[in-house]
Amino acid sequence: MKMNLLGNAAIAMGAKAAGVRFAAGYPGTPSTEIMETLSKTEYAKNIHMEWSINEKAAAEAAAGAAYSGQRVLVTMKQVGLNVASDPVMCLAYIGVKGGMVIVVADDPGPISSQTEQDTRAFAAYAHIPVLDPSSPEEAYEMTKYAFTLSEKIGRPVILRPTTKVCHASATVEVSDEVYEYNPDGFVKNPKWVIFPPLSYRRHIENFKIYNTMEQDDCEYNRACAAPESKIGIVTGGVTTAIVSDVLRDLDLKIKRLIVGRPYPFPTAKALDFAENVDEILVLEELEPFIEEQLQRIIPGDKIKGKYTETVPTAGELRYENIKNIICGFLGLGERAETACVCDVTLPGRAPVLCAGCPHRASFYAVKSAVKNRGKKAVYCGDIGCYTLGNAKPLETTDTCLCMGGGVTVAQGISSANPDTDAIAFIGDSTFFASGMTGVANAVYNRHNITVCILDNRTTAMTGGQPHPGTGKTILKEDTVKIEIAGVLTALGVGYVKECNPFDLEAATATAIEALDYDGVSCIVFKAPCIAVAPKPCVYEVIDCIGCRRCINEIGCPAISLNSDSGGNAVIDTQSCYGCGICETVCKPGKIHKAGGAV
Amino acid sequence: MNILICGVGGQGTVLASKILAESAVIDGSNVARTGETIGMSQRGGSVVSHVRTEGCDSPYIPLGEADLLIAFEKCEAARSIPFLKKGGKAIVSMTEIKPVAVSLGVMDYNSEAMERCINEHSEAVFLNPADNEFLQGKCANTFLLGAAVGNGLINISENAVKEAMKRLIKPKFYDINIKAFEAGMKACQE
Ligand SMILES: Cc1ncc(C[n+]2csc(CCOP(=O)(O)OP(=O)(O)O)c2C)c(N)n1
Repeated sequence: MKMNLLGNAAIAMGAKAAGVRFAAGYPGTPSTEIMETLSKTEYAKNIHMEWSINEKAAAEAAAGAAYSGQRVLVTMKQVGLNVASDPVMCLAYIGVKGGMVIVVADDPGPISSQTEQDTRAFAAYAHIPVLDPSSPEEAYEMTKYAFTLSEKIGRPVILRPTTKVCHASATVEVSDEVYEYNPDGFVKNPKWVIFPPLSYRRHIENFKIYNTMEQDDCEYNRACAAPESKIGIVTGGVTTAIVSDVLRDLDLKIKRLIVGRPYPFPTAKALDFAENVDEILVLEELEPFIEEQLQRIIPGDKIKGKYTETVPTAGELRYENIKNIICGFLGLGERAETACVCDVTLPGRAPVLCAGCPHRASFYAVKSAVKNRGKKAVYCGDIGCYTLGNAKPLETTDTCLCMGGGVTVAQGISSANPDTDAIAFIGDSTFFASGMTGVANAVYNRHNITVCILDNRTTAMTGGQPHPGTGKTILKEDTVKIEIAGVLTALGVGYVKECNPFDLEAATATAIEALDYDGVSCIVFKAPCIAVAPKPCVYEVIDCIGCRRCINEIGCPAISLNSDSGGNAVIDTQSCYGCGICETVCKPGKIHKAGGAV
Repeated sequence: MNILICGVGGQGTVLASKILAESAVIDGSNVARTGETIGMSQRGGSVVSHVRTEGCDSPYIPLGEADLLIAFEKCEAARSIPFLKKGGKAIVSMTEIKPVAVSLGVMDYNSEAMERCINEHSEAVFLNPADNEFLQGKCANTFLLGAAVGNGLINISENAVKEAMKRLIKPKFYDINIKAFEAGMKACQE
């Protein structure tokens, strides 16, 4: 059957066709839709699926199922692999029985990530084979193949798509068949227990397996002949597809090597490819991974890439970059762009907190409390929609490092700056993923910080996934709802209060109290994300006096200045979500709930 | 065929590109490719969707190669103009969504200059939300698709788009979207 599938959906369909029985992941752009697509199939009802509390939990739980002979899928974004790296590194030694495919989505740019790390390099470091699809079609086929390969070598396999494969769609031929097998359950054996002598033996074995694979004929590593060509181009991932377009458009026939399985590197094929070429151009995003592998086996200075400054070292490789690099490489000169240029300076449009977002109210309340106390404060932010609190006019994110990092960074800030209030903001999903340990650390080590948990009842940034505080599973079934305030109290936090951020007055008073508290204090700001709550009403401005306080204080995207009426504020009823904080901040009292229907 | 759809995160551009890709296949294309903006930009940032139906391995339209631009917002239309072929066509909603930085007075939203730039570089059809109620709501995407089909700017049949909509839109919202699509077809033929 032909289907238009997003790369991520193609991976989900591939896993289904391969008979996956256990699928676990933690949301993260650009990987999230893999689990979401699979969870919406009929097939999902007969297998175990979960949004795990974080990537480490996902990998470990899946490992247990794979030890028991089930085929398992684990999904995450690239930084998720940092969190899961402990189990994944060890699994490279211990291995699996049922096929284990770990999908790690990389994000050149980066577009929606903290880092531009390259999972191919991680895979080589960990000694785990990695596959790098160039399109959604290939992602589908590679996913099925990855399960087979994993079982053949008894080791996990990583599939590493990038954003432009995950979030591209193509017409994919999908089969209805599902691979049938009977897992025999967990069989006790010392091989499942990692001990130094076993690790030593496995290290030797791994090296042998992967060294042998360097000589093999994997269908995803392929050379394209061009008998006349004295130069060669090597690519991997989506760059392979873009180079095909560029060469077609320029009408060039050039010898190519496509590396779809970068580790173990196809040494034999690469040597064969390099034999009669004078120069090799390596076009790849992120790290110079293929380039380094080629340098390992090909002496001299034939290879051009990032180390020769022929190819940029950061960011995406777009069609235009690639065309220019190839033309430069071939001495065809820079290609003049045919595109029209717009001579108007356009305002940039960075992402913002939505109109009606409860985070805006929480930030505003805490900021008001800080102003009221008159003491210096540092806002330690974290990863989620609330990172957008960095923008003007809120400016309530002074640091942001990694998931869960805000709570712990605040502890160092507070220790090093005793005259400063250290305030951490953390989302509910992030709290469960990696915030709880930081709170325990603060309590145990007697730090003096205030932690604001922004409980919007969803994982908003990644598109609204349930988490342990929501009482729902990925399959929308009911489950235990873990109360954040209860967790905090159990961790020994001396001051724990819940409050509604939209009640600005009460929220500000609570924040003052929490900041006054000597020790670890926590406020749970509870109000749902606009994506999970109905729109209650909208607001309107009547007889605006043009003081701009609403705009300058809260920066809501639904409020703008009307250029026709001399700079008065107007509220766009389409995007207003009726949170009402503009009404509270409008000192002249000109903002009111609108009467009509929503 | 290369179609670029642009707008502001939250406006429904992704559904529009899905419908286009699906209808292209219904109408007999072997492959339809799309490249989406999914992630942080969906929170009110600039978003683009690329839709391509022939002779390409990658879903991303090179600069200067789009046959048609479908813009959900005026400033985003101007921003995407470099994608358009010389004299390419554009369907542009006159909707203005001012970034917060504009309201704060940090940046300018020069509406007339944007319009001039769009006109200079394309054969544009402008649609005013004041005259077309569907442009103000959740059905702006299907309305604009209707405008593109109605004006003969895409080589895709009305029936294929309707069939694609049936497959991709929740039954609850199907009727209203068909209405929006049909209104879009008319809005353009006038
Ligand atoms: C280690 C790691 N895993 C996953 C992600 C992807 N990610 C970004 S924000 C986020 C969670 C956001 O949810 P929450 O903390 O509830 O805040 P909200 O977006 O709802 O405000 C996730 C999982 C990441 N950046 N890093």
